[in-house]
Amino acid sequence: MRMDQTQRGWALAALAILVSSAVVYVFYALDAPQGPRGGSIIGLTFGAVGFAFMIFSALLGARKRVPTWRVGRAQAWMRGHLWLGLLALPLILFHGGFLFGGLLTRVLMWLLMITVLSGVFGAGLQHYIPPVMTSDVRLETIYDEIGRVRTLLREEADRAVESLCGSLGLPKTSDQQGRRAGGFTALRTMAASAVPLRTSAAVSAGASAAVAAAPEIILLSAEESAPLRRFYLDEMRLFLERSKQRGQRLGDAAKASSVFAGLRTLLPAAAHVTLADLEDICDEARQLTRQERLHHWLHGWLLLHIPLSLALILLGAIHAVMALRY
Amino acid sequence: MTTATTPLGFVDISLDGQPVRVPAGTSVFDAARVNGINIPTLCHLQNQTPVGVCRLCVVDTGARVLAASCVRPVEPGMKVVTNSEKVVNARKTLLELLMSDHPWPCARQQNSGDCELETLAKAAGASPSRFAKRTVARGKDDSSLAIAVDHDACILCDRCIRACDEVKSNFVLGRMGKGYSAGIAFDLNSPMGDSTCISCGECMVSCPTGALTNKNVVGTVIAAGPDAQGLQAEDLLQIPVFNGVSGTFLELNRGAIVKHRFRKDQIICREGEFGSTAFYILEGKAKVSISTPMAHVKTQGGAKGFFKRLTSTLVAREEDQREEEARDRTIPIDASVDLAYGNPVAELGPGDLFGEMTCMNFYPRSATVIAQSDVVAFEMLRNVLDIMLKNKTFRAQLDHTYRRRALENHLRGVPMFAGLSSEFIEHLKKSVELQRYAPGQVIVQQGTPADSFYLVRIGFVKVSENYPGGELVLAYLSRGDYFGEIGLLGGGFRTATCTALDHVELVRISGDDFRDMVALFASVRIGLEAVAAERRAANQQRMHMVHNVPIDQFLSQGLMEAQSLLILDLENCTRCDACVNACADAHDGITRLVRDGLRFDQYLVATSCRQCRDPLCMVGCPVGSIRRRNSLEVIIEDWCIGCGLCAQNCPYGNINLHPFEVLVDDPGRTGSKKTAIRQKATSCDLCMNLKEPSCVYACPHDAAHRVDPRTFFATMLGQGSAK
Repeated sequence: MRMDQTQRGWALAALAILVSSAVVYVFYALDAPQGPRGGSIIGLTFGAVGFAFMIFSALLGARKRVPTWRVGRAQAWMRGHLWLGLLALPLILFHGGFLFGGLLTRVLMWLLMITVLSGVFGAGLQHYIPPVMTSDVRLETIYDEIGRVRTLLREEADRAVESLCGSLGLPKTSDQQGRRAGGFTALRTMAASAVPLRTSAAVSAGASAAVAAAPEIILLSAEESAPLRRFYLDEMRLFLERSKQRGQRLGDAAKASSVFAGLRTLLPAAAHVTLADLEDICDEARQLTRQERLHHWLHGWLLLHIPLSLALILLGAIHAVMALRY
Repeated sequence: MTTATTPLGFVDISLDGQPVRVPAGTSVFDAARVNGINIPTLCHLQNQTPVGVCRLCVVDTGARVLAASCVRPVEPGMKVVTNSEKVVNARKTLLELLMSDHPWPCARQQNSGDCELETLAKAAGASPSRFAKRTVARGKDDSSLAIAVDHDACILCDRCIRACDEVKSNFVLGRMGKGYSAGIAFDLNSPMGDSTCISCGECMVSCPTGALTNKNVVGTVIAAGPDAQGLQAEDLLQIPVFNGVSGTFLELNRGAIVKHRFRKDQIICREGEFGSTAFYILEGKAKVSISTPMAHVKTQGGAKGFFKRLTSTLVAREEDQREEEARDRTIPIDASVDLAYGNPVAELGPGDLFGEMTCMNFYPRSATVIAQSDVVAFEMLRNVLDIMLKNKTFRAQLDHTYRRRALENHLRGVPMFAGLSSEFIEHLKKSVELQRYAPGQVIVQQGTPADSFYLVRIGFVKVSENYPGGELVLAYLSRGDYFGEIGLLGGGFRTATCTALDHVELVRISGDDFRDMVALFASVRIGLEAVAAERRAANQQRMHMVHNVPIDQFLSQGLMEAQSLLILDLENCTRCDACVNACADAHDGITRLVRDGLRFDQYLVATSCRQCRDPLCMVGCPVGSIRRRNSLEVIIEDWCIGCGLCAQNCPYGNINLHPFEVLVDDPGRTGSKKTAIRQKATSCDLCMNLKEPSCVYACPHDAAHRVDPRTFFATMLGQGSAK
């Protein structure tokens, strides 16, 4: 969620709660003869409110599990999660008088701090990464579909290279259409037979304007096509199969551009359209790799944040019961 | 050889030693032909522009090389030899080369023995060829229901291409590839059946070999059962309805028409099945019906408490009456009758044709037909039905049946015609004209005088308006819809162009009858004027948009046509899929949106129903069950038969087929029911019964919005107002 003007109301409310709590705490700390204690009325109030904020924040996970329940917009829940979760830390510090106490409370305090910090870190990531992903990954697809799109790209590249070099004897692995849950097709692949073709003969024979606008097919001689064949089999196809592997020339946009510029000097002009297609395919594969990395950053921090939050709520409840009972 | 006596405009030449006078500009080929000399050719036909690609018509004109006579005009004093040894040897070599690239015998030679290439090769002693055969096959295309394509038998004479382009002006056929991979192609090298080919057959009759053949030549016939009887042409010609049909055509299409005997209670065809045949009842009676209309798919929640999970359920019509339902009292089907909603059953009898839309337009069967008594019926393929519909006797009989049985229902199906008196309906039944249009044919042209009012009987009509940048589609009309009233009630000129999208049949009410009708019945006039005003206002609004929206991308993505878009602000969206999960949760676990689609600026236009102004999804529905509500919502009516055509037609992939469990009669145990799965098309319902769509409500990041694109993107489009 972006930290922008729309957060202003929540930010001001959180600030007001923080300031008023801090004022109460200061007076309370100055008046208490033995210093601030968690067991005092005010200390307990801080603890209860702080814990309530934690529970509310944790309920966001439950809210997401039932997205259709009309219990308030998810957006409001998320804002509450962010700001009340953040407020939980100073309130709990006021509750404990900035002392970490025994083993359980010490663990709790550290857990709270790491949870809040991981949340702040996550909020930061969710603020900065979506615009980066939007600008850097123009050909973004659904995350779960990345593997399939890669396969389709590889097959498209195979076809493009074979249209210049003749058969490479490469296996064809994907179905003609990707099916998704729900029975509809998310990705509409173009069948090989649908690739538009044109020849000057077609134009002279009165082919339609649509046919005339399509690119021509040109088969290069073995000698002419050797550099492309070598590049494709030794480098590009490996990149398309393992584009996450670091250190590949095609994994870097500038280097890839220079590789294709070099190839253009080695291949006849008639092959340059296909080379541009191959360059676009590499670009898309690179974007998909970038999408994967950004996606991992965008959601990876939750692997830390969620378990810590659950542990915090559980131990917080144990602490509350033990403190109140004993 | 031109002498002082040669008249102006004529040329004297010598043809095989004989002096000949022909008009200047005549080709050598034609000069020889009119003088009784036969020059063999493969690529040349009299009704096509000569191209001289086969070179088989070479003649010796005394020049250094032989000349192709079909493209060589006569010249004064020219000495032409058509059968010298040099010429004959050249032709033989050419034939041998062509035969080396030709399957021998080809399908045409096998079936009718008239492959022109093989006949010429045999006559020239050039068969079998001494050259090596092709090793790589170019393949066959069996996708068309009417014509079989064997690329291996193609000699690249281009006769089919010229037939398609010059003779029929269809411009579907062209050339593709080079050298050994050269061949003919349909559209952008689509399979013939998927291309825009209308199966007129001109290419087939122009083809000199077995490359393009009538489907039944290569063995496609209607599946014959024990009660089916294939008929010979001469048998068919004895039957009155075949009076006037070409015997040659029937002979060529042997197997494309079969006489069936259905026993009582036998199913003739089932709703939802894809077929390619029509049935014509000769004797007996049949029951036509559709399954009991399924109740509305309704998303509802909260009935059992605040936290009740939302689900998609089937709600009986009584529980969920739609506002404008009363007007749709009948369900249109692919037969000469309509079905009543409450009891969707009707009877067909001798002289009734059903399955015309399935046969002509390949739409799924709209209803189930069961023999009520022993039934004798003809089942025919499209090419036969097409030729039958062009037959005046058959046509007149069908029209008579239609006027007698269905026209009144159709007229009364138009809401404002409900008040017409029975006498006037009787008058209209006699005076209206029934018209047919082929796919792509213009019915009325914008700007021409308005002289008629039309009611759509079969097929789909596109209504469009021209503007400086191109064509703007205003509406698609289907069975029961009407057009032409604006011109007749207004300035007397057509305000839009109406074009047949497929095989269309219309009921034409003349301008005079129309004027009488509005003069006699005030309610009709008021109703029509209100609809005309509404249509005019909507059209003006669209045209205003066309002139004011400057962004090509906005137009090319079809966003202008959308009324409600689900957009995701990609700068806010964390790709958490909460929107997709919410949609799935609200609709029986099957999402109606996909977080994928085209981007416009920083927004992703998600794959979810756009409630288009130009709803292509409505084109082709065999039972007219997808339609627009008075609100934005595109709804799918209860009688959807789950054929999936709307899902195929939606250009944005926004309609899905949703399986529902229903109780049906158990054929194994009389009187008992069993659970079965029935498909029903579903699209985004905007969670209409809730304040906000679930996807938007569940987005935690303020990224998902349902918006009117014109308002939302107004700032971006430079229209001044903020989004």
